[in-house]
Amino acid sequence: MLSSIRTLDLCDEAGFLAGKILGDLGADVVKVEVPGGDLRGRRPPYLGGVPDPERSLAWLALNTSKRGVTLDPEPSAGRAVLQRLLDQTDVLLDTFAPGTLEAWGLGWDTMQRQYPRLVRCSITPFGQTGPHSQLLARDLVVVAMGGNASMTGDSDRPPVRCTLPTSYYHAAPEAVLGVLMALQAREASGRGQLVDVSLQECQLGTLLGGPGIYQSSPQSPRRGGARTGRTREIWPTRDGHVSFGLRGGPARVSGLRALVAWMIESDAAPAWLRDYDWERFSPATLDAAELARLEAALGAFFVAKTMRELYEGALARRILLAPCNDAREVLEHLQLRDRELFTTIEYPEFGAAIEHPAFFAKASGLSIGIRRRAPRIGEHNDEVYRALGLEREEIAKLVAEGVI
Amino acid sequence: MGESGVYAGLRILELGAGAAGPAATRYFAEQGATVIRVESSVRPDFLRLLHARPGEAVDLDAAPMFALLNPDKWSVSIDLRKPAGVELVLRLADWADVVAQNFAPGAMDKLGLGPAQLLARKPALIVVTSALFGQTGPQRHYPGFGGQGSAIAGFNHLTGWPDRESIGPYATITDSLSPRYVALLIAAALLERSRGAGGQHIDVAQIETGVYSLSELVVRCSANGESVARAGNREEGAAPHGVYPCAGDDAWIAIAVASDDEWQALVAAMGAPTWAREPRFATAAGRVAHQDDLDARLAAWTHKSGAYLLMAQLQEAGVPAGVVQHLNELLQDPQLAHRRHFVPLDHAVLGVLPYERSGFRLSASPGGFDDSGPLLGEDNDKVLGEILGLSPAEIEQLLVDDVIA
Repeated sequence: MLSSIRTLDLCDEAGFLAGKILGDLGADVVKVEVPGGDLRGRRPPYLGGVPDPERSLAWLALNTSKRGVTLDPEPSAGRAVLQRLLDQTDVLLDTFAPGTLEAWGLGWDTMQRQYPRLVRCSITPFGQTGPHSQLLARDLVVVAMGGNASMTGDSDRPPVRCTLPTSYYHAAPEAVLGVLMALQAREASGRGQLVDVSLQECQLGTLLGGPGIYQSSPQSPRRGGARTGRTREIWPTRDGHVSFGLRGGPARVSGLRALVAWMIESDAAPAWLRDYDWERFSPATLDAAELARLEAALGAFFVAKTMRELYEGALARRILLAPCNDAREVLEHLQLRDRELFTTIEYPEFGAAIEHPAFFAKASGLSIGIRRRAPRIGEHNDEVYRALGLEREEIAKLVAEGVI
Repeated sequence: MGESGVYAGLRILELGAGAAGPAATRYFAEQGATVIRVESSVRPDFLRLLHARPGEAVDLDAAPMFALLNPDKWSVSIDLRKPAGVELVLRLADWADVVAQNFAPGAMDKLGLGPAQLLARKPALIVVTSALFGQTGPQRHYPGFGGQGSAIAGFNHLTGWPDRESIGPYATITDSLSPRYVALLIAAALLERSRGAGGQHIDVAQIETGVYSLSELVVRCSANGESVARAGNREEGAAPHGVYPCAGDDAWIAIAVASDDEWQALVAAMGAPTWAREPRFATAAGRVAHQDDLDARLAAWTHKSGAYLLMAQLQEAGVPAGVVQHLNELLQDPQLAHRRHFVPLDHAVLGVLPYERSGFRLSASPGGFDDSGPLLGEDNDKVLGEILGLSPAEIEQLLVDDVIA
């Protein structure tokens, strides 16, 4: 069962979510930080604005369902502890730069000889081998090299990324998929294997076949900001924006008709729009003046209403329109509330209670949800190292040496 | 990929359309599973229509996106409006280990093919349903595509410039994010099953996979009342952190400096110009405080160089930097070539297209793709004859009755 999967998480922020997914699925996940804590991963902003690594909100958000220990695997004493941990580990998750473990004498060949059942999942920007495997990259660089940035942003400004590190979010479930596949293979073979995840390659998945679709085009398509192709996709409203694809095709016709009916009801439809032929509507070939006239009419309707009015109207009329929710609107979204997506976790030492997304799916046979809050620095050192068979004196010695 | 895959022998029945469903089962096809897609010409998958132009005859087999998202899958064309068609699908469910659905909630239930009905018939099945909002809740029938999913989950609001409208990350993020979760859930259920567990229904709401991934957004709002705002390419506490122009048409480089050491490396790579040695740029706090000026000066330097040469130069110096690659440039990327990310496969109508591997490689289970995306109904005889054991005469009758359509 998944609860018997012992996972050692040696990831930096790029892999936090992968360990969380495994933990939220019920696996036993031990997060390893350097002594003193992973200060880069425990980054701002902090709960209540108080600069304290224990209050890092990114850390609290992405490390649930993990126990936490501190360990410096670089000195030989630390290496020895790591190897004892690996003895009792099914899955090693790490984000080490290619070559790091090799330099510690723990390359994959050695590791597999010593721990034949171990699954190692490595998450790196470009993969373990190859001409770019040594390149330095963080989210922005990955999104650039992965193709998505070239298509995202306004045409008169540089390409942009999403303001949170989404390349890590795309790679995390894929890394977990690779881990589960390797565990499935182990059921038959008895042997573990290396899962070599490339953040860049995971980014390509966001293009949904884009490189192949446009391979024979004379020029790659360009980013269009609020537009997709020739038509507007994001529209200003009185208080924000909505997504509404002014696109053609059979799947869109009834929604476009319903929108015009709503505009007629609201006395906001110019006469020429009343019986517009949406069946024949083809943005790719539409006359530019005609397109501008259409967008002006729809835009005037949208900008006079709030996001909420538009979304509620869209729900009632089956129009393909959605609010561009900010964080608060996500938390207040009625449907998500109804499915009880959010759960409150208490942080008594801070006098705080924080809502977290509780699950990524509902299943009748899998238990998916947050098992415990993210660990404090070294919170489970005693528990984990005692279970490993270390005596109190040994633990104290390792603490004194700065190893744990 | 035949016998070498992790899932050789696994049987997946797919009732779905678009990108979000088929992208999930593709991971299993890549590892040897047999994936049968039930489709029809009477209600074709809209991806088979994306290339169509009004007033022109539509060739359902000429859609690149459909082909690219469905390599190594089998296609059987069955009209689900006919009771005999539904009966065929039930028999295929008897054959299957996994049934993956991504039609609107309730649509399959009306036909007697919903999760509860399938599980009642075959309790060992793993049935996964993927829908924008899931199978329950007041807005479950809300119709939409990934574009709306991305907006509702919060991705759009987070993407763009602070002084401009929110825009979506390219393509439809929940369409590419949710299939990864669907796939890992299938893999988890299969692993449990191989250790003795039974079948189950897994209810995936695509938007929820997005919100879950954006846990930091939710937690920051709940804890501090903060609504994370879109910030172009900037990152709190780091500078320079942006995308800068290079020589050439729409050529750009991303530079993400996160430490003083990396800044010093960048200064050295620029030849230590006077402006870069100003004390106000020496610390992260100073660089962040003078970011507009810093970005302008850096851009004035980057725009003289070609993007790829500049990336090599900066990386050599120890600065995280990468070219903003256009879609066609990805096809030439040496690292992706090294990982054999693109698999060229011939398609009867579209010719050779670059089919894409997943984002990971398994050292002992290489996997891969052998066949391009299927033509509509390409595998009818194999599925109806070999799998369901129908005689040529029975298949002929189904054709006459337009059940195979």
